[in-house]
Amino acid sequence: MSEPAPATDHPLSFLSRRRFLKVALAGGGVLLGTAGGGLALRGCAPDVDGLRLLDAQAYRTLSRLVEVMFPASALIPVDAQAFDLPRLFDGWLADEPEALQGDLKTALTLVEFGPILFEARLHTFSNLPPAERAAHWQGWGHSRLALRRQVSLGLRKFFNLVFFDRPEVWPHIGYPGPSLGVVSP
Amino acid sequence: MSGAILDLSQAPPPADLVVDVCVIGSGCGGGTAARVLAEAGREVVVLEEGGDRTGRQLTQRDGEMYDQLYMDRGGRATSDLGVTVLQGRALGGGGVINACDVVPIADGVLRHWVERHGLTDFTPEALAPYRDLALQDLSASRIADDQLNRPNALLRAGTEKLGWRGEVMMHNRVGCAGLGTCLIGCPIDAKRNPRFVSIPRAIEAGARFFTRARAVRIDDAEGELKTVTFRSLDARGYHERDTFTLRARTVILAANAIGSAQLLLRSGLGNDHVGRHLMLQPQMPIIARFAERTDPFRGIPQSYAITEFEREDDPEHGLWGFRVEPVMGTPGIVSTLLPFQGAAGLEAMTGYAFMAAALLLVPDRPSGRVEVARDGRPVIRYTQREDHQRRIRAAAEAAARAWLAAGAEEVFVPTLPPVSARTDAEVTRFRDLRFRVAAAPLVSAHQQGAVRFAASEKHGAADPEGRVYGTRGVYVFDSSGFPSSASSHTMAPIITVSRYLCDRLLTRMRA
Ligand SMILES: Cc1cc2nc3c(=O)[nH]c(=O)nc-3n(C[C@H](O)[C@H](O)[C@H](O)COP(=O)(O)OP(=O)(O)OC[C@H]3O[C@@H](n4cnc5c(N)ncnc54)[C@H](O)[C@@H]3O)c2cc1C
Ligand code: SF4
Repeated sequence: MSEPAPATDHPLSFLSRRRFLKVALAGGGVLLGTAGGGLALRGCAPDVDGLRLLDAQAYRTLSRLVEVMFPASALIPVDAQAFDLPRLFDGWLADEPEALQGDLKTALTLVEFGPILFEARLHTFSNLPPAERAAHWQGWGHSRLALRRQVSLGLRKFFNLVFFDRPEVWPHIGYPGPSLGVVSP
Repeated sequence: MSGAILDLSQAPPPADLVVDVCVIGSGCGGGTAARVLAEAGREVVVLEEGGDRTGRQLTQRDGEMYDQLYMDRGGRATSDLGVTVLQGRALGGGGVINACDVVPIADGVLRHWVERHGLTDFTPEALAPYRDLALQDLSASRIADDQLNRPNALLRAGTEKLGWRGEVMMHNRVGCAGLGTCLIGCPIDAKRNPRFVSIPRAIEAGARFFTRARAVRIDDAEGELKTVTFRSLDARGYHERDTFTLRARTVILAANAIGSAQLLLRSGLGNDHVGRHLMLQPQMPIIARFAERTDPFRGIPQSYAITEFEREDDPEHGLWGFRVEPVMGTPGIVSTLLPFQGAAGLEAMTGYAFMAAALLLVPDRPSGRVEVARDGRPVIRYTQREDHQRRIRAAAEAAARAWLAAGAEEVFVPTLPPVSARTDAEVTRFRDLRFRVAAAPLVSAHQQGAVRFAASEKHGAADPEGRVYGTRGVYVFDSSGFPSSASSHTMAPIITVSRYLCDRLLTRMRA
């Protein structure tokens, strides 16, 4: 039986991509002259208490990402920052297998250095002006590089799920809530 | 001996356990096997890595329920993230979180297994009594017309307008109040799933169910007594705790098409076919927007099917073509399927109450593979084939026509970027649908294959009685054995086949 050729465009699997992610990061360092140059551009992130797994840098990347994903809007006037979604992500990831923790931590570093790596800019994600940050993040989902789409998809799924699971959001999307009333998780 | 449910996150199992049968997994395959074998007087222990949640413990909230009721906390996917792989992980397995549609295995499919796959005993005549028993177990009945919620009624109206074949499906609910959260558990226990049928009966007959108990290895597969190594998990099922063993004369794998192959591979058991021939039957959503509220989150989410384009007796594949069925979830899960981000994403969700979504259900060839990573976790490799893509495109076009005939203002497929149509003329756009990895929301709920039944070990991993080739008493009684897609919905076929194989096993045991 003659089988048609596989039609997907994935070069490597996501979960075994750590080496690829690291090569990409090292490549970014080379672009900048030295890896240290990249770290300097990233700057310091404010300390965050009580994180289980992530560091302050990763927390800042996620906070910026949440701003981009759920901007203050007249349609859904809910302050996503008040939910501290990055901390929720940290708590979730802390209970995931080590291999996935490693992958996602590297993915967050990749997001932070995305503007440098993929657009040859001199700002990291957290340091981009907000409007440019939103445009840059859109590029991840539409990228020709499967790896960037995978990172975008993984993060979008997590944050959408937890954001739209919040009762504060429901009145704005016409959802009356669970039919038997809200039971706190 | 008295049966019971023992939560290993709270207490250790009895020491030095030796039993007739150890069943791994408590879903449609495992729950059924435990019941039939316990009722026949065998001493049965079931290992189940999920927890036991019923009634109001099923909170109708996305975050908590995907975390607690789904494998990998709802995050399971193929290795390239191309297909989200949904599987239940609870006492009762996928029956706890499924959509309750009952679609029995068709005679045409069974004939295909006999003729194409050499499973000469799987004739429609031989399986018919077990199919009836499965329908009884499920209290299967036709969904009443007045139980169709708005999206299902709309799709039906569109289908009838076009003169296509369609049907109101059978289901396994009794006393359903139309609360709408079937995919994250029914808080009034209206589902006649294994948790409320086979498991209580098995317990009555003396079977013991260990929850938060993950089987990690089977040894001495050729010996009289097999050793099963298992680990207790913490109360939320995140981390492994202590290691235990039990010994059993017979081990029955029913850990789903991924888990059964995974455990054989971890144990180094079986031939080269173990893990191969996986079918994910990936589905794709298509979403319609209406001018009036559809309130898709209320009522039975999936009750009507367009069956015009499905056939059950394709000479080469058995079940083939496609069908279309409405579906809807709670806001969290729906938002993960939409391709919009930022302000556009928020805007899209403000239309939630006006949406009606359908799934394009398209059977596939056995083209995937289960492997195991160094830490024992499964790695699911899957490449969507051109013929599957072609049928998804055709299904999208058909579904769009039906939604538009029902009065939808717009229909779109949530790929990145989305493809949409507002008129009949525009639906041809779906012919250009692209399936880039992580940009097309493919979802699998009906995994099959991976420990394929075959008349000879040259062609599969288990014999037609479910015994894994190369072992003496290790069996597979779930959809892992199906050589081609059994049905658009696998719950009833799994119960049918599990009951059938149990009877054969008992006959042999007695002999
Ligand atoms: C969202 C969704 C909707 C669906 N809707 C329908 C529908 O409407 N109609 C229909 O017919 N089918 C439906 N299905 C499919 C159907 O539910 C499954 O095919 C069926 O439940 C599979 O039964 P099973 O016994 O093979 O496996 P499962 O029901 O998946 O049970 C396997 C069990 O094994 C446990 N397990 C796995 N590995 C181990 C291990 N190593 N140790 C211990 N325990 C382990 C798991 O926790 C799980 O509980 C749906 C599935 C999903 C995910
Ligand atoms: S529709 Fe509601 S009441 Fe009916 S089975 Fe689903 S969750 Fe239960």
